[in-house]
Amino acid sequence: MPALNPAYINVQDFNFWYGPKHAIKSVSMAIPECQVTAFIGPSGCGKSTLLRNLNRMNDLVDGVRHSGDITLNGTSLYDPSVEVISLRKRVGMVFQKSNPFAKSIYENVIFSLRVAGQNKKSELDEVVERSLAGAALWDEVKDRLHESAYGLSGGQMQRLCIARAIANRPQILLMDEPCAALDPIATLKIEDLIQDLKKEFTIVIVTHNMHQATRCADRTAFFYLGELVEYDTTGVIFNTPAQDRTEAYIRGLFS
Amino acid sequence: MPPTSPDVPGRFLVSKGILRIDRFMTAAIRLGGLGIIIAVFGIFVFIVSQVLPLFRGAKVEETSAIPFAAGKAPLVFGIDEWAELPFYYEGGSEVTFVDATGAKPPQTLPLTLPGGAQVTAASYISADQLVVVGTADGQVGTFTVSYDAEFGDSGKRSIVPSVTIGEFYPVGTSGGSIRSVGYGDSGDSKVAAAVQESGGKLEVHAVLLRQKRSLMGSGKLTKEGAYDLTPLLTGAPLQLRVPRTGDSVLVTTAEGVVDYIFLGGDAPEKRQEFKPFGEGRKIGSIDLVFGDVSLVLTDDLGEMSIFSLLVPEGGEQRVFVKTKTLPNLAGPASFFARSQRNKLFLTGSGAQVSLRHSTTEQVRWEKTVGFEVKGAVIDAKCASFALLDSDGNLHRYSLDDPHPEAGWKAYFGKVWYEGATKPDYTWQSTSGTDDFEPKLSLRPLIHGTLKGTFWALFFAVPIALLAAVYTAQFLRVEVKRVVKPMMEIMASLPSVVLGFLAALWLAPIIESRVPSVFLTFAGVPLTAAVVGVAWSRLPAQHRARLRPGMEWVAFIPIMLVAAWIFWSLGPVLESWICVVRDASGNPVTDPATGRTVMDFRAWWPQATGTPFEQRNSLVVGIMMGFAVIPVIFTIAEDALSNVPASLTAASAALGASRWQTLRKVVLPIASSGIFSALMIGLGRAVGETMIVVMATGNTPVMDWNLFNGMRTLSANIATELPEAPVHSTLYRTLFLGALVLFALTFLLNTAAELLRHRLREKYKLV
Ligand SMILES: Nc1ncnc2c1ncn2[C@@H]1O[C@H](COP(=O)(O)OP(=O)(O)O)[C@@H](O)[C@H]1O
Ligand SMILES: [Mg+2]
Repeated sequence: MPALNPAYINVQDFNFWYGPKHAIKSVSMAIPECQVTAFIGPSGCGKSTLLRNLNRMNDLVDGVRHSGDITLNGTSLYDPSVEVISLRKRVGMVFQKSNPFAKSIYENVIFSLRVAGQNKKSELDEVVERSLAGAALWDEVKDRLHESAYGLSGGQMQRLCIARAIANRPQILLMDEPCAALDPIATLKIEDLIQDLKKEFTIVIVTHNMHQATRCADRTAFFYLGELVEYDTTGVIFNTPAQDRTEAYIRGLFS
Repeated sequence: MPPTSPDVPGRFLVSKGILRIDRFMTAAIRLGGLGIIIAVFGIFVFIVSQVLPLFRGAKVEETSAIPFAAGKAPLVFGIDEWAELPFYYEGGSEVTFVDATGAKPPQTLPLTLPGGAQVTAASYISADQLVVVGTADGQVGTFTVSYDAEFGDSGKRSIVPSVTIGEFYPVGTSGGSIRSVGYGDSGDSKVAAAVQESGGKLEVHAVLLRQKRSLMGSGKLTKEGAYDLTPLLTGAPLQLRVPRTGDSVLVTTAEGVVDYIFLGGDAPEKRQEFKPFGEGRKIGSIDLVFGDVSLVLTDDLGEMSIFSLLVPEGGEQRVFVKTKTLPNLAGPASFFARSQRNKLFLTGSGAQVSLRHSTTEQVRWEKTVGFEVKGAVIDAKCASFALLDSDGNLHRYSLDDPHPEAGWKAYFGKVWYEGATKPDYTWQSTSGTDDFEPKLSLRPLIHGTLKGTFWALFFAVPIALLAAVYTAQFLRVEVKRVVKPMMEIMASLPSVVLGFLAALWLAPIIESRVPSVFLTFAGVPLTAAVVGVAWSRLPAQHRARLRPGMEWVAFIPIMLVAAWIFWSLGPVLESWICVVRDASGNPVTDPATGRTVMDFRAWWPQATGTPFEQRNSLVVGIMMGFAVIPVIFTIAEDALSNVPASLTAASAALGASRWQTLRKVVLPIASSGIFSALMIGLGRAVGETMIVVMATGNTPVMDWNLFNGMRTLSANIATELPEAPVHSTLYRTLFLGALVLFALTFLLNTAAELLRHRLREKYKLV
């Protein structure tokens, strides 16, 4: 295995505006390869915004603007030669609210392969099994792969979305509060999953759950009002934070 | 009122006012909904009640039976238009009038025949109140039995009959008694004809009289010729009929042949001899229905056929062709009376009486009466008829049949109208002449409706749907905020304005630039496709110069230039293919310029054999398309925009292009809404009236030719309703058209709703 890149994703003095709203303020951080990085912070502090910039999902929003740069393995995401579609194939994403398509479970999982023009049945079958197993869902749905995804429970739908996101083996997986709407058992399953996935993927996860961050993340970044307050290994952030604000947040003094 | 226990604090109670308003609004809303249902249902019931009488048969009732000519042997009898004072004539020198009410005793009026001639045959032409008589000395003449209404001091009507002797013409040879007579008078020419017995043989003679018209008014009647038609006959003559056209004689012979002898030329000429019932069959009766173009023939067993005068395909002269078969009578027709208003006729055999309509081949009413019918007459208003029995009693019947020309066959089947070469679906409700057959087929109108709808949707659906997709999925929100309301304003443009534009502005432009129109319609989308492909091949850094959703800024100028180029190329295309040729196939040159004439308008009819009209389906298609586009656009755009953004985001995050997201995620979910949009657009096109009225020639033709007009059900109602007298057949038929339109939209909507429901079930969200 080659030496892992400690600045695989490099955010450099990044600012972001929704119209007049300055949502990210001069954030710089380096996200290492094949590790789990957690973003924590109170609601509205810009965690999702930064996450969505990592695969340029914010392009879909009208009236946005940015300054600074984000590089992925040394290449700027905003370089004109970057094809957004292929960027999104490299950087998969799981949303806070599960959003399966109005299709069968099977078709949901292989959506990214279908749009890439892959149609070989045997390969697709294999991908479906691998992805669903990877998302710890295979045993529950293997008998009803061709039924509508809307027949699943909330936790199952979210795991289906994870399976869908990893089906085409992206290099990076962005997860925006993937467990926010899940019960504790489903949450545990997804946390196990994250530990598994990290062997292969670089994972950035937004979470509100402190325990989750301590359990899964190698590094943790604390944001407050659009600023990156503190960014270090999870152990440091939770045990010996340098900033008072971090400590206050972790102790639950504000949320 | 729920019991208010004292331990419930006041803040948990609902105030009476809120409850009252709630109850009131519930009732008001329920009332409104019920009102709408009742209103729609009421309209439906009204239309149906207007339409139902069309499908009823005739109402006939015997009103009275009076002693009329007991013990007498009347040659003819007739009746006045009020059916109060019937008369009979025995062949002598008096005409007897019998008061049908029995208030007055019978009354006779004298009749002086020239030279005291002996009348041996007579027939009655009810339309002219004319009795045609043939005398023993070979003369044919007429006398008129006319009635005048006089109003006494008390305002009571009394009918005063009078008898006026007319001209007599020697027709045959003197001395031979005349067996039967015929007389036809078209105004300009008259034909009198007779079957005469001469030396134990039967002969047919005719005279032709012409009235020369000049600037000074109608001139004198001159005798053109007296002809012995016997040599032209196929056999021994039986019956003789002279149509009111005054140019021919029809004779049946013992051999079962009808000879059609034309006198309009220089000399009598046998135009046609035909055996209406085939070999070995005898002819039982021959009669003419109103209009004198159609013959009702029965054979000796009662089989009934109608033969009409028409120019057959490939022929040059009008001859009789079998056009209809009616149900059999009990035997050969023994009496015949015709209506003077429409194609109804009363006939029968023995005691059987049958009222029939020649156009629709229907039996309107039939009954076996308790006596043998010797003769029948229908009054001039077609409101009653009278039957004469063998005992000399006159049985009077009231007749109510306001819509004999209606019926399923007339509306939806092929009908062989008089003068037409073949059965066809025709709409032609009115004409200048009285003896016209209203042609009421709804098929051309349904066809026109579908044709107009088809071309409108053909034009509108691609544009509206693509525009909706682009606006909903690709366009930036700022631009969309302008585009959407603009389209909604377009939807509210009154269709009169669009129709006016279509007729006075668009139609002339299109007429002169058809090739340009086609080139532009084909070329602009093609250019769009080519430019789109080229754009997608550009390296990402070049494409990045235009933000996604702003591509239209670059595309619109390109499209405009392309449209201009293709529009200007039209005449070039025209000069390549649209070579106008003369009758011998050589290109026509313009004498002024010496160049070959290249003109689409002239070329199209030559090349395809179908007409080119200025106000055609293309104009309607484009303009009605314009009316439909905003409707489809708005609803489809809503459906597309309502697809949850979370799903498009999921798709984009998985590396799908905008187009893939659209096709795989957005379209399936929006499909039911898009389908509704199409159906509502279709409904608008089906019911659209003003554009069609103004932008087409309103010709009820049945073809799909883009360069021909059409007449739709709704346009038909709009154009004809002002002309239709209330409760006339036409009036009710227009309501039937409305009902068909109603049914058409109802069927379409129901089918669409079922389909939409299935789509929605298939792609429903959570
Ligand atoms: N699409 C948007 N348009 C405008 N403002 C937005 C949009 N999305 C988020 N914001 C604003 O940006 C800030 C950061 O939001 P977000 O990144 O969603 O916060 P977090 O995920 O940390 O709760 C918030 O104040 C929010 O109101
Ligand atoms: Mg968030």
